[in-house]
Amino acid sequence: MIIPVRCFSCGRVIASDYVKFNEKITEIRSSGREPTPEEISATMDELHLHRYCCRRMILSHTDLIDEILPFS
Amino acid sequence: MVPRRRVERGEGESNRMSLKILELQDRYIKFSIDGIDSGIANSIRRTLINDIPKLAIDKVTFHHGQIRDGEGNVYDSSLPLFDEIVAHRLGLVPLITDPKMNFRDQCSCGGSGCPLCTMSYSINRIGPGLVTSGDLQPIGNPELVPADKEIPIVKLGPKQAILVTAEAVMGRGKDHTKWQATSGVSYKYHREFVVRKDATEDWEYFKRKCPSNVVSEDSSQIRFTDDIHCPWIEQLLDRPEVKVIEDDTKFIFQFETDGSYKAIDVLQYAVKRMPQRLNILLDSLVTPD
Repeated sequence: MIIPVRCFSCGRVIASDYVKFNEKITEIRSSGREPTPEEISATMDELHLHRYCCRRMILSHTDLIDEILPFS
Repeated sequence: MVPRRRVERGEGESNRMSLKILELQDRYIKFSIDGIDSGIANSIRRTLINDIPKLAIDKVTFHHGQIRDGEGNVYDSSLPLFDEIVAHRLGLVPLITDPKMNFRDQCSCGGSGCPLCTMSYSINRIGPGLVTSGDLQPIGNPELVPADKEIPIVKLGPKQAILVTAEAVMGRGKDHTKWQATSGVSYKYHREFVVRKDATEDWEYFKRKCPSNVVSEDSSQIRFTDDIHCPWIEQLLDRPEVKVIEDDTKFIFQFETDGSYKAIDVLQYAVKRMPQRLNILLDSLVTPD
């Protein structure tokens, strides 16, 4: 679905960081390769996602809002 | 098991409670409190999580039916997400808060809603596109805008539109997470790594890498602390010859806010709030007559 606004465990706002995270990852993908685990980790560190509860929110999310968009 | 005892104090250091700010940013603070026990430390933590009043959207009114734009195009007001989900997401958006605002049930208006206790917002967007928290327009005080303007609320397809009004009221974290101003509130003991210079040959490496983490040094030993973050100092934990001493009267706190307040303001409020909390407990005690 759509990214949750806050981290389920600690309550930090993570939705806006997901947008920035996605931009960075798309940028790496557009250069023709998959991001390395180190790059993904460094991107989250730059967004100050230090706790693993917030990191899993970003990492494990699948954005499906576009799939349900026609069914209002 | 790490031995816990008081770290010996240098000359001129008193046993009275003292608070020292180690790191301060707009939304993040790290501080140490010396001379308290774990009970007081935990009540500070719980006050920071539960008892900071903050503004959050509590009532959302959706316009249902057709929405027309200036050119007469007709849009459908039904959204890809349920209205309840959108309302919940709006509630979680952090709003910059004026701490002088009243709680609705304690307001002079008697709970009916007035500018002293209620803040109104509206969203009016037509699709296609992503509706973000930046689309929340404040009605009234223009300073009380969302602290984060890039939170996605809902995505609109072609011929879809959203028209909502929302009311924000003050609340506390114990009632709902949306009124929780802080996250990641934690504390740990102050600890010192006692490094004997004859047993650990590369002590100078740690001194060079983390100079501000040195507590004391003499000819035979050097003491480090990890109160301030330094990526190399944690390696000392793996050394069997390094003795670790924890001080259970000195606590290192850290927390971050969601942007509704500055971190330092939250701390100041929490410290003022603690005696009030104890008075609530006192008042609730019933003495048998």
